[in-house]
Amino acid sequence: MSDLALVLVVGVITFGSRLAFLISPRPVPEGRVGRFLDVFSLALFMAIATAGLVAPEGTPAITPGLAAAAGGIVGGIVFKRSLLGVLAVGAIAFYVVRALAGS
Amino acid sequence: MLADPSFRKGLRDSVLIFFAVGAFGLAYGVLAIEMGFPIWLAILSSFVILSGAAQFAMVGLISAGAFPVILAATGLGLRHLPMSATLARLIGDQPAGVRVRLAYVLVDETFGLALRAAAHNDVDDIVAYKSAADVTLLAGWVIGTGVGAWLGGTIDPGQVGIGVLFGLLFLGLAIPMVTTRRDWVVVAITVVATVVAVLILPVAWQITSAAVVASLVAVFSGE
Repeated sequence: MSDLALVLVVGVITFGSRLAFLISPRPVPEGRVGRFLDVFSLALFMAIATAGLVAPEGTPAITPGLAAAAGGIVGGIVFKRSLLGVLAVGAIAFYVVRALAGS
Repeated sequence: MLADPSFRKGLRDSVLIFFAVGAFGLAYGVLAIEMGFPIWLAILSSFVILSGAAQFAMVGLISAGAFPVILAATGLGLRHLPMSATLARLIGDQPAGVRVRLAYVLVDETFGLALRAAAHNDVDDIVAYKSAADVTLLAGWVIGTGVGAWLGGTIDPGQVGIGVLFGLLFLGLAIPMVTTRRDWVVVAITVVATVVAVLILPVAWQITSAAVVASLVAVFSGE
């Protein structure tokens, strides 16, 4: 398969998964399915954050990424859950600790 | 559309995303060139796929062949299903064209912004708000990819700490969603599930599996 064909196939898979529930109006899921949808987004975002901060190299390890996580949480508290606060304080903590660690 | 207050608010709220996503797009562009993509294909892939996770997985696995790439894209695409259902619930009745357009840019970052705005009743028109954020994200991603592809191998994404900044972005999107005891339980379960998934699962399945397992545990434990 050529690289172009692969790009198109991955594009179709990605778009299809995004369109699945949007293409036609359906009844709002209730019960456990509804509760699953309520919590899934938070779980997804935390999973991506955890993988990036706790295991930036692919395995869990003590790295400056943990300082970034701590800084991000502090930034979120100090700046009242602001996205900018989380990013700014987390990034500063990351770069400072990485510089101190000499990595 | 620029006259719509919700659209303008969407543009303002997504400025940061433009730069954050642009940085990741730049990293993707660099990697795509390193993996042998011509510049035009790197940029085209960002238009066609518009998914950082799927595109990074693609360039990371492409040397192993098409099947692992397609498997990874399918695994990563699973997480769009609940997002798609949630967004459908959020936007209510809309024409098919609007739904297709919103599906094209059903990306974690703008989805998170839209959820946050809806939860806080920040905007009157959630479709206009998300559309503005989508335009910003698409521009950041494609421009970033183009710049990265043009720079080629002169930048080391690892040196910049792209993976950590990516994690911080999602931490920043998650924190405003944590408001109840149930949310804290979901966070705790997800962190544990993700660490376990990172240790035992292939990359393509780690995030989706951890999020699904944590959500199921929360639902069936009554949280």
